[in-house]
Amino acid sequence: MWHRVSRVLVGRLGFLTLTLLYASLVAGCLATLIAQDELSLGRRPLENLVRTASEFARPSFLDVWFGNPHLEYRSDDGTVLRVENRQAVETHYLQGLASATWTTFRIATLGSLLGAVLALPLGVLTARNLAAPMPVRLLAKGLLDVARSIHTLVFGLVLVGIVGLGSTAGILAIAFHSMGTYGKFFAEAIETLDMAAIEAVRSVGASPTQVFFNAVWPAVLPQFVSSHLYIWEFNIRDSTILGVIGAGGLGLLITEATSLFQWGRLSTVLIVIVLLVSSFDALSRRIRKALS
Amino acid sequence: MTRPAAILLDAVLCPTGGPMCLRVKHLEIGLGERVAVIGHNGAGKSTLLRLLSGFVRPVAGQLVVLNRSLNKPLSAHDMRAFRCEVGQIMQNLHPVERLTVLENVLIGCLGRTRGWRGLTRCYPPIEVKAAEAALASVGLMKQAETRTDALSGGERQKVALARLLMQRPRLILADEPTAALDPVAAREVCQLLVQASAGATLISVVHNPELLPLLADRVIGMKQGCIAFDLPIAAVDESCLDALYKRNEVPRIKPVSRQSQATDNNHTQSCLT
Repeated sequence: MWHRVSRVLVGRLGFLTLTLLYASLVAGCLATLIAQDELSLGRRPLENLVRTASEFARPSFLDVWFGNPHLEYRSDDGTVLRVENRQAVETHYLQGLASATWTTFRIATLGSLLGAVLALPLGVLTARNLAAPMPVRLLAKGLLDVARSIHTLVFGLVLVGIVGLGSTAGILAIAFHSMGTYGKFFAEAIETLDMAAIEAVRSVGASPTQVFFNAVWPAVLPQFVSSHLYIWEFNIRDSTILGVIGAGGLGLLITEATSLFQWGRLSTVLIVIVLLVSSFDALSRRIRKALS
Repeated sequence: MTRPAAILLDAVLCPTGGPMCLRVKHLEIGLGERVAVIGHNGAGKSTLLRLLSGFVRPVAGQLVVLNRSLNKPLSAHDMRAFRCEVGQIMQNLHPVERLTVLENVLIGCLGRTRGWRGLTRCYPPIEVKAAEAALASVGLMKQAETRTDALSGGERQKVALARLLMQRPRLILADEPTAALDPVAAREVCQLLVQASAGATLISVVHNPELLPLLADRVIGMKQGCIAFDLPIAAVDESCLDALYKRNEVPRIKPVSRQSQATDNNHTQSCLT
């Protein structure tokens, strides 16, 4: 009786303590924010919001059809400096956008594949049920943890310094960071293997390769493919930002648009990103469902 | 005994997982015999089966199974050949979940299928026919193309039986094949198991005394790692079983707390039933 009461009591008290701890943490964060006078929305938040939103609401790609074909740039005294065909300029921009999208997709695809290939041996070494020697296992796990905890952007910044600006830095950055996630997923897929089923196949006198192809492969392959699709999709999202640090692609256009305050162009780029990510997401979800 | 021996144990000593040792002075089982092994938990039944399947080796004594001496470790090749001849069916002998029922049954012929066919699951047509026949005989022909993770426990055990039929072993070791099944399914699986073992030696571990007449014509009772009795099924009666499962013989652990005592009692109860 006393055991039960004390256990319930300790459980409740523990949860209460955790809740209080969390509440005090949040309170601490808020208090320091206010104390440093960081909790502000700027001078004219509403006005700025309306302006930005109205520019966002008119994405620049509309100019291809509705742009002014004779946009005149005049100096203060009225002389015409330059006449621009907005439609032609925007069409040109869209071509650049298409090639940037392809660059981003390429970075994500090659980076994911490289990450998966790098992670496979590490994942196998980390899986608990395969019982690799302890030091090797810890080393592999440590490598994966380090890779996972360093952000793609940080990897990218370092790699741009090593291999220079361009797609290669982006591919390597994606590969190194997602290697950590891949390794974890692979190890988990291997750990959920039904060892009894493998033992059963072995017990009919099958050779090790037969055991691998008849029991291990069919159980592990769908999970590998599905985690690959998942991380690939994640990397497409991730690689759009890599251009910001000089790896090329959509991120470059984002920096360009934001530094020139061209919210209309940023809106176009974001629409492309949303379309790219959501269509890939829909596709990969279908494939994963078919595989499970 | 006039039949040639399938299994011969002489002065065998083998450590179990627990504190006891399996000690068998002499045990001989002929080809084609049907033997049931009974006894309380931890009596050494599973260790005996693991000895016979070559999973563990005795530390002393003679162990001969299907004319192979298992005292020394077999080479990988011999081990595979030995495993082809020994069919195992267990409570937890799972099918490969993502494969279809038919593919799982065909795994039974991997031992005699060499080369690319065994790796790509493109089995020779004659084996596919045999597998379909095996499925038909356990009554699962309709589900041949279903994936095994959609099957119930009893159906999975039937898949394992069909695989056993496919393997055509000379010795069948069944370790509590009906433990997870309801009484009707258990009875059905036992009948199928006996049919599947026609011509082969069948050694099964069972807990339910009602299934004994179905599975065996000879019963070996084990207690504390030794053979307590070895009788034909007709001679096994309630008093035999009572003596074997006698309550005060069950090793008792001193209870640590009320809770562990409760589970200990439950445990004893489940041993008795």
